[in-house]
Amino acid sequence: MDTVTLFVPCLMDAFRPEAAEAVVAVFKRLGFAVHCPAEQTCCGQPAFNAGYRNEARTAARRFLRLFGDAEAICCPSGSCVAMVRHHVPALFDGEPDWRALALRTAARTFEFTEYLVDVLGRDDLGASFPGRVTYHDSCHLLRGLGVREQPRRLLRRVRGLELVEMKNPDCCCGFGGAFSVKYPDISTALVADKVEWIRESGAEAVVGADLGCLLHIEGALRRKGLGVRALHIAQVLAGGR
Amino acid sequence: MAEHREETLFFQTLRRALGHPPNAARPAGDLFPAEPSAEERRLLARVSGRSEREREELVSRLAAAARPLHLEVQALDDLAAARDAVLRLVAEKSPEWGGEKQLVAWSHPLIESLGLAEPLARQGIPLHLTRPVDPALDAAAADEERRRQRSRIAASFIGITAADFCLAETATVVLRNRPGEPRSVALLPSIHVALVPRSRILADMKELFALLRWEERFRTEGLSNYLSFISGPSKTADIEATMVHGAHGPREMVVFLVPG
Amino acid sequence: MSAIRTDRYVEEARRGIADPVLRRALAGLQERFGRGTAEAYRRLPEGPGLRQTAHAIREKAIAHLDILLERLARRIRENGGEVFFAATAEEAVAHCAGIARRLGVKIAVKGKSMVTEEIGLNAALAAHGVEVVETDLGEYIVQLAGETPSHIIAPAIHKTRNEIADLFAQHLGIPRTTDPPRLTHAARRALREKFLAADMGISGVNLACAETGHISTVSNEGNIRMATTLARVHVAFMGMERIVARLDEYEIILRLLCRGASVQDIGTYVSFIGGPRRPGESDGPEEFHLVVVDNGRSRMLADPRFREMLCCIRCAACLNVCPVYGRIGGHAYGFAYSGPVGAVVTPLLTGIRRGRDLCLGETLCGACKDACSMDIDLPRMLLELRAILAEGDPGWGVEPSGGLERQVWKLWEGLVSRPALYERALQAGAVLQRLLPRTPAGWIRRLPPPFSGWTKSRDFPPVAAEPFRRRFAKRRKEADRG
Repeated sequence: MDTVTLFVPCLMDAFRPEAAEAVVAVFKRLGFAVHCPAEQTCCGQPAFNAGYRNEARTAARRFLRLFGDAEAICCPSGSCVAMVRHHVPALFDGEPDWRALALRTAARTFEFTEYLVDVLGRDDLGASFPGRVTYHDSCHLLRGLGVREQPRRLLRRVRGLELVEMKNPDCCCGFGGAFSVKYPDISTALVADKVEWIRESGAEAVVGADLGCLLHIEGALRRKGLGVRALHIAQVLAGGR
Repeated sequence: MAEHREETLFFQTLRRALGHPPNAARPAGDLFPAEPSAEERRLLARVSGRSEREREELVSRLAAAARPLHLEVQALDDLAAARDAVLRLVAEKSPEWGGEKQLVAWSHPLIESLGLAEPLARQGIPLHLTRPVDPALDAAAADEERRRQRSRIAASFIGITAADFCLAETATVVLRNRPGEPRSVALLPSIHVALVPRSRILADMKELFALLRWEERFRTEGLSNYLSFISGPSKTADIEATMVHGAHGPREMVVFLVPG
Repeated sequence: MSAIRTDRYVEEARRGIADPVLRRALAGLQERFGRGTAEAYRRLPEGPGLRQTAHAIREKAIAHLDILLERLARRIRENGGEVFFAATAEEAVAHCAGIARRLGVKIAVKGKSMVTEEIGLNAALAAHGVEVVETDLGEYIVQLAGETPSHIIAPAIHKTRNEIADLFAQHLGIPRTTDPPRLTHAARRALREKFLAADMGISGVNLACAETGHISTVSNEGNIRMATTLARVHVAFMGMERIVARLDEYEIILRLLCRGASVQDIGTYVSFIGGPRRPGESDGPEEFHLVVVDNGRSRMLADPRFREMLCCIRCAACLNVCPVYGRIGGHAYGFAYSGPVGAVVTPLLTGIRRGRDLCLGETLCGACKDACSMDIDLPRMLLELRAILAEGDPGWGVEPSGGLERQVWKLWEGLVSRPALYERALQAGAVLQRLLPRTPAGWIRRLPPPFSGWTKSRDFPPVAAEPFRRRFAKRRKEADRG
């Protein structure tokens, strides 16, 4: 039986466990055994983005120790994978052993939709999901990993799902981690436009592949009292047959 | 050697920042090659081996590139047709700043061969030719001569130049600076007419630079001290992104392609 | 140096966001240029990969900057021009003021130049009694209004035709009109007088070519050609990094510059200037002076983390895609340079601690990197600046951050290193959140400081009662049992 090791983003673990369960369900349906190291916490991205590299390194070392042996690591977040792929190796520029481990791990770490489409060659997962949805390109998935078409391909194969494009799907939603709290006015101006574009698209749900953006967008949708749901793509792909 | 203390210090700081000994000028190495690259040889061969048909293709590319730039390109069969085209412009257009119709043109063999002086004189329209400033003049007299030329150029509603080259890809007229060919003729009048001999049409700036760097007959003069690339009339979109032609320079530009 | 107001980023950003006219103008600008530039890169005969080639050309030029600048200066001097190397903004403006004094300059006409904005040239010349007239239409409007440019290429993007109509009616004595062609023509007439009366023309330099010894300027309006042709003396200012070795390299950079700046194949006027007019020539300046400005660039050059920033040619393509710039406008950045380029270059030129909000006030979305005509990794440098702010850097005179922020990240480090503790913290959060005002669906309406910024405009998601890892472990145990 094929095995995949699940790297669960800390935000998903804490705020949207059902999305991670959906990831597990998708892999089960594909006949995979799913490993999920119980000790995992965070890859270090928040501290790294804030400039606290020593603290980020501590988290990154733990991550590498926990996942270093895994054959294939799958993570349902573009920004976590961008961290592992691009920034973690750079964090260990001065430590050759850790750097080598970081590079090996990076080469085996994939974002969820990228793993399904590019590695496994699957786009029809037999899912069904009634309704009209629009897809938000998260910045690090799109520009950090170059993943644009894979999630759309997956969504187009979902029974009953109508995919509509919003205006500027690739424009940042204004989350940016600590940015959303430190610079609330700018962050709000960004998400207000995003919410408007989602509303204009006529979609009943906005789907994305990064929980940070989705929680941010949903927080704004809810405050505005709009009935549009924000879903991780795994939640759609796990939708019943 | 550095002439000033500031300059010495500037270069010391610079070399230190680059991680080099601060006081030793470094050799240029291969930064400025003495031979054309393979790519440049290819460009030079392309220019010299260009067939008549390929030249005609360049003309259509030039016309296509000029259209969105508001640049008018007219291909003319001979110098008489070019003269008539200029005279038509003179008749149809009126001076932007008021006053009499006056023209200014470079003292350039191609322009002089049009024979504009006589028909214009018949209509009583002055044609000013911009002669080189005589080096024998003393400073005050030379200044006076420059002032006189400038006021004539500024008073003219049409300025006529002859291009050194024309780049088809971008619809660009290339002018090099010489005595008797002041750049303000392409700048102060409201309408700029550039004559371009067909043989001087190149595909693009790559070809031009290859010629200026390596082709003996162009290399000596090089870029001159003021090389202009002009691609259409002056324009601006600084007020609410609305495109307006005629910001500071000419508001109209016409290229006449002539044989030769 | 011009005034530095980087410490007002947050309030100025708020002001920009609250200005509906500015927001609409910026949205229009980004709509036109943002996508257009990406498309223009794709249509290049060499493909968008030409940006990488250009990056390599620029890096090579920067690595040989001393050699290139020496060659440029030697050539210009051979051609009768003067070259002055200024270590600081003060040296640069003093040199120009000295020329103005010597020649008794009364009016100087100026083409758009970012480096002269940086060094504060206008104010310094005005103090010497010189009337400095900005001649780029956008800059002229901004100058009449007593403001500063808010975009590198479109300086008056924040002004409406109505505001411009008032300005022109007041300053140019024309009947009030909101028609852009008429307004443009009024400025054309007023500035033509200035061009013809000016004693000094001032320009920037888009890019110099060392081999031939020329500087070059690019404009659509023709104002730079006017300023560099008609006045008795031409003074050109260039940041010391704006140079390439050869013409074939120049050609590549120019094509990307024009596409990045304004989605054009080429600017209307590109001029190569190698010196003053020669004997026998009837126009062109009698004196040509080039002022090469360091003003903090050598510090960037010496630091491998930031040397890449010197590849920048100020095309402003990054402004046209940046979501943050698109909401707050250029004035928020508090210095000559705005947008992503400003967020990196301004702190490096004017102080990292002081420009802290510029380093932190971006989302790291990466759009700037994709749009950059020179393929510069701006987000990487923002991250480096953040690391300097956190960890300190004696070379840049920055102390490590202290106080609460550091403690928060230490606490975070402790938590992510101890899974049991981490989980208990989540549990505690799940319990404590019940004390906060919540929506019927359980989302949090108001968070306490320092997180209250989020809930000003957005509900905050509740922590799940049972996080995923616990659910997964539980299920695994059940499976093992069953």
